[in-house]
Amino acid sequence: MIAFWIAAALMTAAACLAVIWPFLRPQPSLEAGHDVEIYRDQLSEIDRDMMRGAISPAEADEAKTEISRRILRAAEDRATGPEHADGKLTRVVASLAILLVPVLGLGGYLYLGSPAMPDQALAVRLEANPSTNTIDELIARAERHLVENPQDGRGWDVLAPIYLRVGRAEDAVIAFRNTISLNGSNAAREAGLGDALFRVAGNVVTAESREAFERALGYDGADPKARFFLALALAQQGDTASAAERWRALSDDLPQDSPWRGTIVQALERVREAPAPQPGSGPTAEEIEASADMTQEDRAAMIEGMVAQLAERMRDNPDDAAGWQRLIRSYSVLGRADDARAALQSGVEGLGAESSAAQELIGFAAGLGIELPESR
Amino acid sequence: MTVEIGHFALVLAFALAVVQATVPMLGARLGNARLMAIAAPTAMAGFALVTLSFGSLVAAYVASDFSVANVWQNSHSLKPMLYKVTGTWGNHEGSMLLWVLILVLFGALVAMFSSNLPATLRANVIAVQGWIGAAFLLFILATSNPFVRLDPAPIEGRDLNPILQDIGLAVHPPLLYLGYVGFSISFSFAVAALIEGRIDAAWARWVRPWVLAAWIFLTGGIAMGSYWAYYELGWGGFWFWDPVENASFMPWLAGTALLHSALVMERRSALKIWTVLLAILTFSLSLLGTFLVRSGVLTSVHAFATDPARGVFILIILGIFIGGALTLFALRASELKAGGFFQPISREGALVLNNLFLSTATATVLIGTLYPLVIEALTGDKISVGAPFFNLTFGLLMVPLLLIVPFGPLLAWKRGDLSAVSQRLFAAFGVGLAVALVSLVFIDRVSVFAALGCGVAAWLVAGSVTDLAFKSGYPKVGAAIALRRLAGLPGASFGTVFAHAGLGVTLLGLVSVTALEVEKFVTMKPGETLDVAGRVLTFDGMTPLRGANFVEDQARFSIAGADGKSLGEIVSSKRVYTARRMPTTEAGIRTFGFSQLYVSIGDPTEDGGIVVRAWWKPNVTLIWLGAVVMMVGGVFSLADRRLRIGAPAARRRQSERPA
Repeated sequence: MIAFWIAAALMTAAACLAVIWPFLRPQPSLEAGHDVEIYRDQLSEIDRDMMRGAISPAEADEAKTEISRRILRAAEDRATGPEHADGKLTRVVASLAILLVPVLGLGGYLYLGSPAMPDQALAVRLEANPSTNTIDELIARAERHLVENPQDGRGWDVLAPIYLRVGRAEDAVIAFRNTISLNGSNAAREAGLGDALFRVAGNVVTAESREAFERALGYDGADPKARFFLALALAQQGDTASAAERWRALSDDLPQDSPWRGTIVQALERVREAPAPQPGSGPTAEEIEASADMTQEDRAAMIEGMVAQLAERMRDNPDDAAGWQRLIRSYSVLGRADDARAALQSGVEGLGAESSAAQELIGFAAGLGIELPESR
Repeated sequence: MTVEIGHFALVLAFALAVVQATVPMLGARLGNARLMAIAAPTAMAGFALVTLSFGSLVAAYVASDFSVANVWQNSHSLKPMLYKVTGTWGNHEGSMLLWVLILVLFGALVAMFSSNLPATLRANVIAVQGWIGAAFLLFILATSNPFVRLDPAPIEGRDLNPILQDIGLAVHPPLLYLGYVGFSISFSFAVAALIEGRIDAAWARWVRPWVLAAWIFLTGGIAMGSYWAYYELGWGGFWFWDPVENASFMPWLAGTALLHSALVMERRSALKIWTVLLAILTFSLSLLGTFLVRSGVLTSVHAFATDPARGVFILIILGIFIGGALTLFALRASELKAGGFFQPISREGALVLNNLFLSTATATVLIGTLYPLVIEALTGDKISVGAPFFNLTFGLLMVPLLLIVPFGPLLAWKRGDLSAVSQRLFAAFGVGLAVALVSLVFIDRVSVFAALGCGVAAWLVAGSVTDLAFKSGYPKVGAAIALRRLAGLPGASFGTVFAHAGLGVTLLGLVSVTALEVEKFVTMKPGETLDVAGRVLTFDGMTPLRGANFVEDQARFSIAGADGKSLGEIVSSKRVYTARRMPTTEAGIRTFGFSQLYVSIGDPTEDGGIVVRAWWKPNVTLIWLGAVVMMVGGVFSLADRRLRIGAPAARRRQSERPA
């Protein structure tokens, strides 16, 4: 910080010196005779050309006359050259200029810059004491280590849940798969994988994710995470009653201080409230459930109508990422895989193919088994 | 700390540029020598500050300092070191900083080497440079600041566009900018002359080296860009009349015209007003190019980011500088003393003809480039003015120009003798005709275009050689003396010869590729063969490979001649850059003589094959070699002692010093 301001002061002083420089030296002379020199040069060039035989003596004479005429004209101009004197105005202008440099330079920098911010070269950050590292830097260190030692099972085991915590679900899936293949399967790793798959799919317990949780239960029948998510899977399929029942059972089995209790209470509340669907938000599981009482045609018409309404809305709001997820899920639930793919494509285009939202949408759809149509 | 020092230096450079723009101009107005003398030291200090600033940005790229937003957006810690450095200008902010760096470099060079310029002219020239510098520094600081910081700093960058991860990025933008920005010097000289209301032949002699230097760099920059697009984009083309290409081509055409008209002005004191106008227009076209490429009006690999604020800002700069200079021209041009009149059949007459053709050609390209943009802005319709338009208009304009090129250098100043020159060119004409006939009979009996094109190319080269022969007095004095005289010819004579011959070489390449190229588009499975113009490619299979920051599938082909002899191997690959998940195609190119075999692979097919595009491109390298020959011509001309008016003065001063 201090070093920066010293450097800044030196630079400012040097810049000011450039402005003062002419005032520290003797008065420069104002000679306007330079062009005459060029004409003399041209004259000697004509002589050379003539000697080489490139032009005839007559031509040379003519050219010389023309150049001499120009020399005379230049000499006239010189006679009316500018005068020089350091008047009061000169001193005022010079002082203003010298003042302007530090004021504009310093003012502009203070407005734009971040003087207190140190350099953060990557190598330095990664070699610093780990206790001073941010979580991102710790992850980067672990990643760098794993790029060089991809067979280090312990590294993947540590990194996988961290990925999950910082929201890098896709990386977490890879890390969990790596630790499972290197260290073998257990309840915690399978449950973690299930959780990661659940997030990649946009908070949906997909078939793949459910299988992972079921494997976790195979190792440890009491694993709270697996039990919680399997209940959630039921809720997402519309069977809220069974889901609620399982959550209550899980809650009873858990110790008083388990962090899962709060989560369960929230989940139960959400199921109870079952938020009223907003218009055009697509059919919820409950609505599809409720339509069981209707006739076949009525039910189909109701669902189609809702999906169509949503599709319509998405055409007008193509940048609504959550809306696209709902639409793709609806098509997927209805078994209309082609429409789901088309919706995915429109969604990716609507969100901008390069955007992170589009990438997220592709990941979400992949969790439902929907992939972009093979094009190109 | 280095990052913030760089930022501070940039702001300080802006403050200094404001002083440089105003005080010397006021000094010239008041006739005060000290105020005028502020110009040079501020220009040099400004250059030092921008260099420091640019250096600190490069340092941030090299160190992968992701606390700098610009580094985070365009770099990646795993990128090879060369691309970390070149990535500095592989983005909008960094490339604008490079633009300004080159601008202040030229300003500093003028300041250093102009001590023999009349004081007022010198002050005004450097001040106009200061205006341009201040405008673009303000643009950078206000809309495109490369020193914006991120807190907390991300741990990994988003990587550079893979297409730009190439040695081309190290060469093409700096060369192109040296060309674009180099024309700012002639612009500043023109504006300074208009402000003073005084211009003479000496002015042209001062301006010409700067125009020449800019022209050499621009020629190199365009050629390099063309070759880069040719090998990197994988579609086998080298010029598409794409607006971005046109943006660099227009200043080149106008700059070429300027180069020739400055010659007339220097030697004959004529065409003064036209030369000044051309100097203004050339840099205006450079600015227009910068606007088109940097504003996001055009989407291309050059448009790094689109931000309306930037477009509007550059448009305002464009309006002020072009509008201001042209207004000044309208007000003051009549005060400039017009030069002498001259005969139409003379060297200067030929140069005027050259200027007519070149400026019409520039206007044609300008219309073809801007018309679709204007139509889109007015009606929203996207129309495309492609190669057919340019080939028809620009191509037709070039034919007569190329035909008269050899006459120009052979005509005498003031009063030329057309029939005598025609007689001298008789041999060259014969060579051109012979080449055309050979092409028609032995190479391609159908393509009259190829025959005529090759003929014109040969005419240009032979005409240049003729010029050189007569300048050294060949038929009159005999070979031995002529050879001795040849060595004594001034550099400018060789410059003319090389530049014009280079034009012929490029033309030969263009015509050969356009008329005689062979293209194959097939699906190949391993083991299958493909005949491309007498060379047989055998697909050996795909090999996956891992680079520093990409994975690739290499398709290997062995090449054999028609007689079955092995000619080596060619490798084309598809890469995916991991950070951006962006695929690129790396073309495989093998050079045989001046011709090239070009292989580009497409997607794999379901039955295990791969889509392959292969071209035989006869004489394709001549297109770029011709540009190199032109540049050599430029260097010869620049090295001509007569141009370096500073040199004799400096020597004299040294010898005056007491021993």
